Amino acid sequence: MKIGIPRGMNYYNYYPFWYGFFTYLGIEPVLSSPTTKKTISRGSELVVPETCLPVKIFMGHVLDLIDNKGIDVIYVPSHQSIAPKIYNCSKIRGLPDLVRNVVKRNFLLIEPTLDKSEKNQGLYEYLYESAAPLGITDKKLIKKASKAGWEAQNNFTAMLRTGMNFHKAMNNVAKGKFINAVEEDNRKYPVNVAVISHGYNLYDSRVSMGIFEKLEKLDVKAYIPEHLSIEQMKKGFPVLNTNLYWANEYEMTGAAGYYLVDKNIDGILTLTSFGCGPDSIMIERITRFAKKYGKPLLNLTVDEHTGEAGFITRLEAFTDMIVRRKRESIIKSFSRQFRETKEEKLPQSQVAGFKQ
Amino acid sequence: MPGSNYKRKRIVSFPRMGNIHIPICALLKEMNAEIILAPPNNKQALTIGTRYSPETMCLPYKMNLGNYIQALDQGANILLMFQAPGTCRLGNYAKMAEMKLKELGYDFEMIVFDLYGGKFKEIVNKFSRATDNKSITRAVKGIKICLAKFNALDKIEKELFYLRPREKNFGEAEKIYNKGRNLINKAQNTGEVKAAVDQTMAEYKQVYIDKSKEILRIYLTGEFFVLLDPFVNMDIEKELGRLGAEVDRQIMLSEWMGQSLIPKWLRKKETHKERATRTAKRYMTRIIGGECIESVGDAVYAAEKKLDGVVHATPFNCIPEIMSQCILPHISRKEEIPVISLLVDEHTGKAGLITRLEAFIDLMNRNRREFRHCEPKTPADVC
Repeated sequence: MKIGIPRGMNYYNYYPFWYGFFTYLGIEPVLSSPTTKKTISRGSELVVPETCLPVKIFMGHVLDLIDNKGIDVIYVPSHQSIAPKIYNCSKIRGLPDLVRNVVKRNFLLIEPTLDKSEKNQGLYEYLYESAAPLGITDKKLIKKASKAGWEAQNNFTAMLRTGMNFHKAMNNVAKGKFINAVEEDNRKYPVNVAVISHGYNLYDSRVSMGIFEKLEKLDVKAYIPEHLSIEQMKKGFPVLNTNLYWANEYEMTGAAGYYLVDKNIDGILTLTSFGCGPDSIMIERITRFAKKYGKPLLNLTVDEHTGEAGFITRLEAFTDMIVRRKRESIIKSFSRQFRETKEEKLPQSQVAGFKQ
Repeated sequence: MPGSNYKRKRIVSFPRMGNIHIPICALLKEMNAEIILAPPNNKQALTIGTRYSPETMCLPYKMNLGNYIQALDQGANILLMFQAPGTCRLGNYAKMAEMKLKELGYDFEMIVFDLYGGKFKEIVNKFSRATDNKSITRAVKGIKICLAKFNALDKIEKELFYLRPREKNFGEAEKIYNKGRNLINKAQNTGEVKAAVDQTMAEYKQVYIDKSKEILRIYLTGEFFVLLDPFVNMDIEKELGRLGAEVDRQIMLSEWMGQSLIPKWLRKKETHKERATRTAKRYMTRIIGGECIESVGDAVYAAEKKLDGVVHATPFNCIPEIMSQCILPHISRKEEIPVISLLVDEHTGKAGLITRLEAFIDLMNRNRREFRHCEPKTPADVC
């Protein structure tokens, strides 16, 4: 039996779990092909223009699974809330309802709901709803499968924390491998930048326009929210003088707060899709506090019309600015040191030696 | 100094939204508060609000911020706002506005009504903090008159919806309504409120109406701020009335208030939200925040009641309403009811809105004519 998982939205956060869970139950998860221009244009046809880019892409992936891969069971979960009164964005909450109404094909939609604010809608109910339409109703088996899912998810998180590339980690998970070795990276980077965004923007190279390769070319080391633990991200909230409101706020506000006070980070890059509701608030807050802490920040907004050239220009300008700033501060600190040593009235011979 | 802040005279203000100031002012006055109201929503408030808001923020926030700034400039120092979890960006309004206004150098206290848990108690507590009035009896009396005014306003508004498209001299009923609204605003106790309603209803009877006129019936649904504020929705009900359509609307002040304040076990009839959840079931099974489920449910309800069309009004970039906008065309096709989505933001012009409404009215008129011409002869021959 096969189950189609669209490569969009929550795929980037929870696919390892779903992979572990479904393979344990003997169901083969099938992914849609990576995002292309066609995916976006086909998805955009289904929804109103104001919808954000990730949702349009998600719709394109659903179509890709049905039309190109011939899958007729599609898995679209709804993550309502992850903790009491901590809700997700409406679009993530109502994703299955949207798919059911706008995709006019014949298919079985599996739409489990995870709602921690309700009493009877926790993880096991969610997993039961995921497996029951496929004929698996053995609750003990589902519990065991959930353990397999957690194992895959934890392996994935651990691999990401060692600094492994996202796609590499995802590939390892899909092969059932776990590599716990910090990769040797002897390259020296003059600039360190934190790239803050949701997973579905960052790791979809069509949306982020291959931002990581571009930064690599500019000699910039990118730090991502996935490098941080939840505890570290929790520390970021008081920095920005706020608390958790959105379910996916950790990777934005939390990570940004943590990196804002991190001395190793020279600047912050945020990537948001046009018209994202939660981001419009979070980015505003991050921008305000970046100003306060004196950290450079570049906000890139993407939609389906964004051109690559403009993207590169802005990245280059941002990097140049950081390099100039860094150089200036180094020169300043050197000259300060020099002045201090002069004021201490060193013996004449030493000053002469310095001149040579 | 924190001490001086406490002793300072408390002047309360809150954001404007249609008629909401009438009952809220009544409650605050009963609790001996001094109130400064921002002027009714206008272009200037919107411009100020837009200047200090993030670019892609939704319209109600921009409007609220404009109201706050106008009120603070007039000397208010206590600002009221409510927030509820699991809605949408609304839960962030108070926090953001407070930060922005403090940054602009205003000195004030923000009192936020958290509608998380115990709602009624929370309201009383926060109102007594805002007004420095500890008397429970006054609070209860205030709430009584407040609720009475909510209901009274809705009653005279509903009657206006009926009269508007039918009256011979357009604008007559509107005048009576405005007069009645002022009377309700001035009323000191529940008896006077009732008298004001009775007087208005009697005056409505004098309006000369054309009973034989064929009237289109439209269901108006969407986001509550847009629906309840005549400036933001550009008098959409009046324009529809002028074009000869009777408006039906479930998002009324009292409905919305009762839904969020009165505990479940005290309610007798099905609330709007419950009804919408029931009717929307075929299309939508989850409550996803905002008024999405209401919009979807109302459209199905309108189709069940065989109304002529649905007008869906929302602010640009409202997260839940984008979802309902995507789903509504599907409902329109399945349930065979025309639906139009109207977006408003700070750049919307009235002329464009009216053109679209006119086209929509034409479409519904045509639908009706067609339906009459080809009355089904056999059950299979349904058009």
